[in-house]
Amino acid sequence: MNKRSPGSDPGMSKAQNTMHLKYESTLREPLIDGVKDYHQVTEDIISPIEAKPGKLWYIGLFISVLLLLFGVFSVTWEVYWGTGVWNLNKTIGWGWDITNFVWWVGIGHAGTLISAILLLFRQGWRTGVNRAAEAMTIFAVMCAGQFPIWHMGRVWMAFFVMPYPNTRGPLWVNFNSPLLWDVFAISTYFTVSLLFWYSGLLPDFATVRDRAKTKLRKYLYGVASFGWTGSTKHWQRHESLSLVLAGLSTPLVLSVHTIVSFDFATSVIPGWHTTIFPPYFVAGAIFSGFAMVQTLLIITRKILGLEDYITLGHVEAMNKVIVLTGSIVGVAYLTELFMAWYSGVQYEFDTFYKFRAAGPLGWSYWIMMTCNVISPQVFWFRKMRRNIMVTFIMSIIVNIGMWFERFVIICTSLYRDYLPSSWSYYRPSWPEVGFYLGTFGLFFTCYFLFAKYFPVIAVAEIKSILKTSGQNFKEKMDVYEEQDAEKFAHDQAHH
Amino acid sequence: MEQKKYWKGLEELHNTTAHQEVVKNEFREDLPFEESDSFLGATTPRRDFLKYLGFTTAAATIAASCDIPVKKAIPYVNKPQDITPGVPNYYASAYTVDGEYVPLVVKTREGRPIKVEGNEMSSITGGSTTARVQGSVLALYDVARLRYPGINNGPDKTKLEERIKELTFAELDKQVAAAIAGKPVVLLSSTLLSPTTKKLIGEFLAKYPGSRHVTYDAVSYSGMLLANEASYGKRALPTYHFENAKVIVSLGADFLGTWLNPSEYSRQYGATRKINAKNPEMSKHFHFESMMSLTGANADERFTHRPSEAGVVAQALLAALGGGVSAPVIADARLKEGIAKAAKAIQANPGKTLVVSGSNDQNVQTLVNAINNLAGANGATIDWAVTANYRQGIDADMVQLVNDMNAGSVGALLVYGVNPAYDYFDAEKFKAGIKKVGVAVSFNDRYDETTELCKYIVPDHHYLESWGDAEGRTGYFAFVQPTIAPLFKTRAFQSSLLTWSGNATAWEDYLKNEWIAKLGSQEAWDKTLQDGVIEPAAGAALAGASFTGDVASASARIAAPKTSGFELALYEKVAIGNGKEANNPWLQEMPDPITRSTWDNYACVSNKVAKTFKTELGDDYEINAEKQVLKITAKGKTVELPLLIVPGIHPETIAIAVGYGRGKKQYIGKAAGEVGKNAYPFVSFNGTTFDYFAPEAKVEATGSTYEIGLTQTHNSYEGRPIVKETTLEEFIKNPKEVNHDREHLAQYGADFRNDATLYTGGTKFEYPGIKWGMSIDLNTCFGCGACVVACTAENNVSVVGKEQVIKAHEMHWLRIDRYFSGDENNPEVVFQPMLCQHCDNAPCENVCPVAATNHSSEGINQMAYNRCIGTRYCANNCPYKVRRFNWRDWNGADSFEGNLLDTADMNDALTRMVLNPDVVVRSRGTMEKCSFCVQRLQDAKLTAKKAGRPMKDGEARTACQQACATDAIVFGNINDKESRIYKVRNEEQQDRLYYVLEETHVLPSINYLAKIRNKDAAPVAAAHGAEHKKEEAHH
Repeated sequence: MNKRSPGSDPGMSKAQNTMHLKYESTLREPLIDGVKDYHQVTEDIISPIEAKPGKLWYIGLFISVLLLLFGVFSVTWEVYWGTGVWNLNKTIGWGWDITNFVWWVGIGHAGTLISAILLLFRQGWRTGVNRAAEAMTIFAVMCAGQFPIWHMGRVWMAFFVMPYPNTRGPLWVNFNSPLLWDVFAISTYFTVSLLFWYSGLLPDFATVRDRAKTKLRKYLYGVASFGWTGSTKHWQRHESLSLVLAGLSTPLVLSVHTIVSFDFATSVIPGWHTTIFPPYFVAGAIFSGFAMVQTLLIITRKILGLEDYITLGHVEAMNKVIVLTGSIVGVAYLTELFMAWYSGVQYEFDTFYKFRAAGPLGWSYWIMMTCNVISPQVFWFRKMRRNIMVTFIMSIIVNIGMWFERFVIICTSLYRDYLPSSWSYYRPSWPEVGFYLGTFGLFFTCYFLFAKYFPVIAVAEIKSILKTSGQNFKEKMDVYEEQDAEKFAHDQAHH
Repeated sequence: MEQKKYWKGLEELHNTTAHQEVVKNEFREDLPFEESDSFLGATTPRRDFLKYLGFTTAAATIAASCDIPVKKAIPYVNKPQDITPGVPNYYASAYTVDGEYVPLVVKTREGRPIKVEGNEMSSITGGSTTARVQGSVLALYDVARLRYPGINNGPDKTKLEERIKELTFAELDKQVAAAIAGKPVVLLSSTLLSPTTKKLIGEFLAKYPGSRHVTYDAVSYSGMLLANEASYGKRALPTYHFENAKVIVSLGADFLGTWLNPSEYSRQYGATRKINAKNPEMSKHFHFESMMSLTGANADERFTHRPSEAGVVAQALLAALGGGVSAPVIADARLKEGIAKAAKAIQANPGKTLVVSGSNDQNVQTLVNAINNLAGANGATIDWAVTANYRQGIDADMVQLVNDMNAGSVGALLVYGVNPAYDYFDAEKFKAGIKKVGVAVSFNDRYDETTELCKYIVPDHHYLESWGDAEGRTGYFAFVQPTIAPLFKTRAFQSSLLTWSGNATAWEDYLKNEWIAKLGSQEAWDKTLQDGVIEPAAGAALAGASFTGDVASASARIAAPKTSGFELALYEKVAIGNGKEANNPWLQEMPDPITRSTWDNYACVSNKVAKTFKTELGDDYEINAEKQVLKITAKGKTVELPLLIVPGIHPETIAIAVGYGRGKKQYIGKAAGEVGKNAYPFVSFNGTTFDYFAPEAKVEATGSTYEIGLTQTHNSYEGRPIVKETTLEEFIKNPKEVNHDREHLAQYGADFRNDATLYTGGTKFEYPGIKWGMSIDLNTCFGCGACVVACTAENNVSVVGKEQVIKAHEMHWLRIDRYFSGDENNPEVVFQPMLCQHCDNAPCENVCPVAATNHSSEGINQMAYNRCIGTRYCANNCPYKVRRFNWRDWNGADSFEGNLLDTADMNDALTRMVLNPDVVVRSRGTMEKCSFCVQRLQDAKLTAKKAGRPMKDGEARTACQQACATDAIVFGNINDKESRIYKVRNEEQQDRLYYVLEETHVLPSINYLAKIRNKDAAPVAAAHGAEHKKEEAHH
């Protein structure tokens, strides 16, 4: 067996040493490491579901649930006493709430990009990470959705944002409002992402069902797999559905964060009123999303022992996306600064140069700059891109930076706008922080449950990129190639 | 014939039991319900799925939308005479607290007074009011008011109900009569304007030989009274006519804020500040003071001096005018120059000058009289024929009384409307003295520091429950009539006196008889009550008086000022005054015009002093509510107060507001009790009068901090064109200069409002009927805050309390922005009322996801509170930041129980009687803002409609407009070519007119008129000009 150890240099494969496999590309590294047959793949990915979870899992889940409960408490506190328990004020109507909303929505984007756009572009490497990334999308959007809901002063009237027939006139929603566009954008996004993710899960659930040894497991996974039998008809429909959903999701990758950016771009507030926002927000979203995927997968592959499936190749590919999108947002930041100066508008200039890059909230701007623009530049170096530890640390730094980007956009624009008489300052209160921590609780609770009960890698899809038969053929050929030519000819002649 | 019977089957024919069973059963076959054995196993058929979904959604929706508590209102069973539910009644009355004279019209709804407006029939105030007058209606419903007469149980008990043992009036009268019988009585009152009450007091005191009436003003003007007596032989205040003055020099008199009768003077002064564009002229106002007062902030030229220098400044001014005194040495070059300038201006305008002084020193006031005499003010800007009665207290009388009390020679002390145990400079001595008095009776309407020490408590009515009259100026009367039956078991002070002097006449009859005798008939009296005022015929010439003051000796008695070290100055805050009406949440929450602080007093310090305590204006100072606490020692008294930097205060002066540091919350009330520190102990008696400053003050850091609730933390408008100003000189030279920055808007077309749009082809709503608009003149807005309180009262604006103000959660729909500009130690000040601009292209409207805020066909940006879900997007997108969010449940209108945040008893059933029933109370979680008083506009439109005529200009007025003493706010229908607003915008004031943030093209409905300063140098305009030239060169 030519099994490579994970992390070894693909260029230095056996092929190079023996010069036997000249027809094999030495540049492209395999999408998964090790020679796996179909059974092995199923074993590797499904068996953690069947095994008892480890101690770490329990600890992680416990902490997550604790955080979630604290979040529930914080939100209950806020809903009961009023939004005034947050430190927002007459000048700053949005703070941590909408910052967190945009941050979580942004994180979700990587999942959709991986599952939809990369599917359409036939990027085989996506199969190793798409399931977890899509799960991350779903959970991130769930977290994101909490903020616009609970930030409302009268959340029990939240259904007013739905355009339903009513006896109030009828009174319709305001289709001019970007916040309403958000309602549609986020709900569409969530629905499509959920369907996409779930339809991909069907064959895998069926696999779990078929391997199940307990009645309950068989029943539950049976229900979850919607009666999947693996017939050709099923497969054919499954493939078509995947393509349709991928087609639907692709514009969403661009549109959702574009619409989120409209919340700001269509306003009149200096620092918000910027036409650059849509591409800048989308790039930022993909940037933070890939960082979050890195964070999660580096942990997941380690704990579940999936290093063969989520390879250094994946890590490197995603780091390339990070350095690209990070540089795009960097350019966007500089463009904003330039435009603020070039426009000659005093309010714009003051917002960017006096109150954003300087002033009492100036520190947040420089955290953003450092984390998002300067630090990702390490990924120009291949060694860094392939270093797990560096990647892990960077993925966290990027998400801190992207959180601050949203904070900077929202708060440093609001706290000192047109009329200096209303200038104010903002520090979060404990229920605001608690709410944010609570969404971490929600996210990780979901993720831990997902990692335990769902196949974290798309078993059916990854089987489609296995090169087992080719590998077997090569190995067979190895045997022949090592023999001398006469023997080979002799053997052939005898046939 | 028997019916033939047909049968369908043999069972029916034979009528078997089985058949009978079947017939009884209505449905012979099972209905096609799917049955299941267990609940969990129940199947939901696919075709029913949508039904279930629909039902649950609908049920959830209904459950969610119906859960708003229902409050019941009980209608009248029988319709009371004169009251139609929903229709307000108006009664004339007058505000006469502590000698202020403001004739009023009181609006009552269903028998409850809910709003006061100025009485426009009064030629003195002409309908103007002050913040305190506007707030006085809330005092009627103050839960801290005493509710019954009684006898004081003494300090052993803590609860108020236990402290005062209730007595019936009959029992109380018996006991008091016995207690004061044959004793010399001293009636101690604040300044009383009522001639009839004074007559009654005379009759009462005559029954008790050796009795006397002492008038005591917490903030005294006896220096003026005594000086006038010496100068003109009249112990009185003259009538000032600021409107006749071209040069106004104020030596520390805050006549727009707190001095004597500010509503009167604001109106007069305002008349001299109005700019007629065709013939621009205005008065020139010089101001000399130690602290930064509201009036000083509005001066054209302002100079600071030490508090101890007040006399020297008057001396120097007199000397400069050739008044026969030698010029004193003045070290400060700027001050010296200022005095010379003022003197020059006075000399250039003989007979058109008015000099007023806020000093309580007889000698200073004598010098001021001499200055006015030299300047020809008597008979021109000062009228000695008609004198004013606003203050009557003589300090020495009060000091004498306290000495007498301590000597045990006061048999009975009747306390009416004063609180010396709190505001007398030597309160301890007063407290000691009151124990030695035979019997003390308090008529005060609350359990204040003095009432606590009195044996008998006979609470007086609130003025809105009372009968009375008032003589503000000689011959000018206003009348007070009840607008509501007494809420509690209180009794008019006068009724008590009548009873105790054995007169069985009721007070209202006594008053009525008195006036019918004067007026001649019941009809005349009825008419008088209807009008509210009686005034002599207009047109009488002002009278001068011959000055007989001893200038030389007065000048000689001016003490030499200190030249270094800290000095302490005491002042009254515009909203709180002397502290008598401090328990008023509206007034406590009204931001101070200068410091923009609420709910506290503090040590106002200069930049220089602050720097010595390592505090500086800047980001840290702005973003942190905690301010350093200073320990201030003067005259052996110490107080610890947080510092607040007030640019423009004299560099070595510390100014502290009186009126704070009242007693326990449970007695004084939640709004005033235990708030701030008492500064009255720093007052001193100089042998003749009280001095409201302390020349020797020591200031130390304490190391601790204290949070102050400021509603505005940034002081500068950063050169942004949101405030426009120029000088008079510049304005005459080039009126267009004010709006030079609008020139670049011309590139969008001739009419920026209409032409500057990307949507040229679109349809534009033309407002065919009414289009409301407002104009605010920055030149006549003095920042007094009357409009802010009027708005609060009219629109049920919630009070949030200090903690929430610190969180910037205050709810004021209308605020007055105050900006400093220029030199950080001698800044210029500008006030800018800021309220919803009712933009025709409103950025708030298009961002609301549920269309809760939208535009009316009359141009009003309106709020549908019920629709609001509270995303706050509109507030974020408001460039003026005038939208106010209900962060907490301030008023009990929330869907949840038990989360009310009420720090000042604003939700007591009693206090809530002040709410205006025409305006809904907003629930927690909704956005609110200025509505242009839409309820008043609707009322005016309906009134006109019912009368079958078009609405006239001036019928629809907003509360802020009506409260304004100077008519700085003009409001009306801009489609009406006869309206004031149309004329202001299109005919009179085009040059000064501008819109704030016009370049954002939100199309505000409120315009501002640029401020004009009447000063020599024109650095601001010059800078503008230079910049303009530079721009031109650039182009």
